Amino acid sequence: MARGPHIKAETRGKVRRITLDRPDSGNRVTEPLALAFIDAISGAIEDDEVSVVVVAGSGGVFSLGAEATLAEIGPESAARRGVAAAVGQVAKPVIAAVTGDAVGQGLELALACDLRVMSEDARLALDQIAHGELPWDGGTQRLPRLVPRSVAAEMLLLGRALSAEEALKFGLVSQVVPARDVEARAMELAERLANAAPIANAYAKEAILAGMDLPLDQALRLEADLAVLLHASRDRDEGIRAFLEKRPPAFTGE
Amino acid sequence: MAFETVLLEIDGPVARLTLNRPRVLNAYNIQMRDELYQALGLLEENADIRAAVVRGAGERAFCAGADLTEFGSAPSQFIARQVRFERDVWARLFGLRTPLVAAVRGFCFGSGLEIALGCDLILAAPDAKFGLPETNLGMIPAAGGTQTMPRAVGTARGLDALLTGRTIEAEEAAAIGLVNTIEPAPSLFKRAAATARSLATLEAEAVRAAKAALAQAADTRLAEGLAAEARLASRLAFGR
Repeated sequence: MARGPHIKAETRGKVRRITLDRPDSGNRVTEPLALAFIDAISGAIEDDEVSVVVVAGSGGVFSLGAEATLAEIGPESAARRGVAAAVGQVAKPVIAAVTGDAVGQGLELALACDLRVMSEDARLALDQIAHGELPWDGGTQRLPRLVPRSVAAEMLLLGRALSAEEALKFGLVSQVVPARDVEARAMELAERLANAAPIANAYAKEAILAGMDLPLDQALRLEADLAVLLHASRDRDEGIRAFLEKRPPAFTGE
Repeated sequence: MAFETVLLEIDGPVARLTLNRPRVLNAYNIQMRDELYQALGLLEENADIRAAVVRGAGERAFCAGADLTEFGSAPSQFIARQVRFERDVWARLFGLRTPLVAAVRGFCFGSGLEIALGCDLILAAPDAKFGLPETNLGMIPAAGGTQTMPRAVGTARGLDALLTGRTIEAEEAAAIGLVNTIEPAPSLFKRAAATARSLATLEAEAVRAAKAALAQAADTRLAEGLAAEARLASRLAFGR
């Protein structure tokens, strides 16, 4: 287990859990925290033994956002603090364990993940507009893709906070559980994903995210191309053989 | 400027735009199109106005749709098409920098729903009813509804609304995120005005940037949207 002063990174099986670890400051994103986080994400991308990433916050909060406004941070430092942008680079599935409130850049980070498990007493909000600022780590673009337009507008313009119940209703999170169970449930989900073939996971994610950005005919073409490419993987042979032999598959990521 | 079918009232930084043909459930006709076009222009030109409420006159309707008695009255399809884009009230509505809050009582059908969908937030009374009934009349929505509805509620619900033309009651509208909030009828307009006043207290440039970013999100690939967000956020924070 690697534990710096800002970020904790642990590996269990094929799952890498990266935890924002400044609980006394609400896991606010500072430059050192962002650098350590982005470093941990790079490590998860490069490590072939890792097939799924879990992002969590310690101390009963996910993250209350950036430590200061964009104007205060300045453009050069801001360019080094894109924690959500870093998650957007991961081809492997990423799960957010929303252990507590996710606000501002903290919510932007959760939005960049593929699946979100949320604590039943947590709240999700974008608070930047109250400071005369715009979210700048993907929030204005990812939120409207995940919730109805009217809800995204209200969160962005008026800072409306979503309860876990509302987030579940709008499909923004896939599971809501008591706070103490969030991390365990996220790990459970991660382990289930880690049992699937890694290339298939990555291609499924690519097909959805890239496909949503394409006209349907081109997206269907992408899907077909990715599916045919998978024919060349050893894992596909193994998956079919294991199914026919009624045993669990042993995927190697090849 | 005095209009008949549209009332534009200004109260400090907040404007109130009322669709005003209550005897015919505020049905949208040619005069309303022309007056709405001008009224939206006035809103946009007045930098002191920071937010607006859009509502229907009376208690029975926001707007029950296009006034069918005028259908077929254009001299020809060619003139009709020309006028559609000469006075493009819909482009003006969708491109408005001022944030709009729709307050919906009663019927909100066809063009009425399309006007509401052009607003940033929608508040509704429990008696509000929404629908796009055009296909039942052999038509399709033509004020953006085929595009704005699925973008607002998702493809599956958009297709359901468009193909069946069925009525969506207020409660369902809230559940699918078509409207933001249900508010009891007696306090609806008050609540909408309060929401508009909250919007009016925000920094105008930040609100404009947020509206521009939301428009990008609905219209571009993620990578382009992220680049647009970075530009907008940076211009707002650093003036460049």
